[in-house]
Amino acid sequence: MSIRFTDVFYTYNPKTPLEHQALKGINLEIVEGSFVAIVGRTGCGKSTMVQHINALLHPTSGVVTVDDFQNVPEKKKRSKNTKELRQKVGLVFQFPEYQLFEETVEKDVAFGPKNFGKTEEEAMEAAHKALLEVGLGEEFFKRSPFELSGGEKRRAAIAGVLAIGPQYLVVDEPTAGLDPLGSKEMMALFQKVHEAGATIILVTHDMALVKRYCDKVIVVDDGTIAKVTTPDEFFLEDIEKYSLDSPELYKLARFCIAHGADFDMKSIHGVTAFSEAIAKWKGVKHE
Amino acid sequence: MNNFTLGKYVPYNSFLHRMDPRVKLAMTVCLMVCVFLAYSTWSMTFLVGGILFILAVILLRCTHMGIKDVLKSLRSLWFMLFFLMIIYIVVPRQTHTLPIAWEVGAWVVYWDSFADAGKIMLRLITMMTITMTLTASTKPLDLTYALEWYMTPLKPLHFPAAEIAMTISIALRFIPTLLDDTSRVMKAQASRGVDMEHGKLMQKITGITSLIIPLFVSSFMRSEELANAMECRGYDPTAKRTRYRRLKARFSDFVFLIVANALLAGCIYMCVTSFDVFALFGVTAL
Repeated sequence: MSIRFTDVFYTYNPKTPLEHQALKGINLEIVEGSFVAIVGRTGCGKSTMVQHINALLHPTSGVVTVDDFQNVPEKKKRSKNTKELRQKVGLVFQFPEYQLFEETVEKDVAFGPKNFGKTEEEAMEAAHKALLEVGLGEEFFKRSPFELSGGEKRRAAIAGVLAIGPQYLVVDEPTAGLDPLGSKEMMALFQKVHEAGATIILVTHDMALVKRYCDKVIVVDDGTIAKVTTPDEFFLEDIEKYSLDSPELYKLARFCIAHGADFDMKSIHGVTAFSEAIAKWKGVKHE
Repeated sequence: MNNFTLGKYVPYNSFLHRMDPRVKLAMTVCLMVCVFLAYSTWSMTFLVGGILFILAVILLRCTHMGIKDVLKSLRSLWFMLFFLMIIYIVVPRQTHTLPIAWEVGAWVVYWDSFADAGKIMLRLITMMTITMTLTASTKPLDLTYALEWYMTPLKPLHFPAAEIAMTISIALRFIPTLLDDTSRVMKAQASRGVDMEHGKLMQKITGITSLIIPLFVSSFMRSEELANAMECRGYDPTAKRTRYRRLKARFSDFVFLIVANALLAGCIYMCVTSFDVFALFGVTAL
């Protein structure tokens, strides 16, 4: 069971002067249970790609399969059970706080489960659980979502997707505009969801998050897949050609090498490995 | 959301695109008046109406759009036309020049009713074609400048021409933004299980609420942000405004203006003198 893209092309506004080909032949597999990062410069097609997973967009040509759901250009061949798919794949958009609309936070979070056929009580229960999970305590349940702070709104919106109980969770830049502590908590939350068995697909520009949490990196460049690799290998090369920035640790290691250090970049997996390498280079005894 | 063509600017480089927006606006008004004048007989009405319609279609072709685009955007109006036809047929007429179509007891229907419905339909489609030609070939901002230029003579009467132009241009500027917002919120709610097409009535209503409230919230937020940004950059509604790009009419613009006015004058002449081209040739027309 997995998400598979086969020769997927997508064109916005076809046959008009505003025509724009966003995806140019995507071939990709995301296996169940992984924590995948999708990275690439702004406008390279990341968001277009993830919207295909949820059948919000249909490919101009090619096939997207999610488990046994087929998303194809022809309406007749496309699987009918879109609702089932959307229950399985949760999609958290960039700035999800815009999707809040109910009178109270708990009602808003319960909106998703109710749409997927849960009863009022079941939906409320799922909502409360999801809200506690994202760190919004009981004092928030009855408040209006519009009087929350920006970070709290974001959490409420994410709870709205988590309450549906998706197997695949696609998050588009969840930490954009959050303070450092807030984004750390947000990522810890996704880590927890991942450990509970969900597949996480994270669209991001923050390489530190990729290094810390993901086990696979998919690099998208101008509508094509430029590379599929692991974070450790990915940061060994010069990633500025994709408009991305190496994590600070790798920059520091490169700086040291440029100034005469002779350690192997491949051994720098984390802060400990790096400090050991430095100690060895400087001849300090490590205890 | 991306498939509506009515009132959308199409970036090409035709002579209509290069024409001065003020002249284009004047020509549009001239043609519209021609379309809505009353002519002496039915045959004259349809003759002039047909000529104007063909002219409008030719102009629309020049902006690389087709009559198909007009008909596509009129789709929702078909029902209205049908309804109009029924009203014309059901409501009794005072005057008539055409023979009776059918007679059931006291209910008499003349062919005039059908001609009237056809006239309205022709006028409507011609009007849409003309407007579409204008909006397809003119950037919304240029159109606003043209409007402002026409309102300038009212300035001594303390008429807020510049403010109105600013308001219109802001409103136009935000249409695509709001459409983007709409499709974004729609997608977000769709992945939370909202089904706008299928589902029960109650579900559809909640679906629409889940779309409208976020849109309201985001547009209020946007307007506040925009107001702050404008104030920060020193916007003063009462100050005298100048333009970076000034409109300039060329010789060809004047030629078009004269042609359009001649057309209008001709139509008014035909309307006022009950001119009948068929009578000139000795044909008795309806």
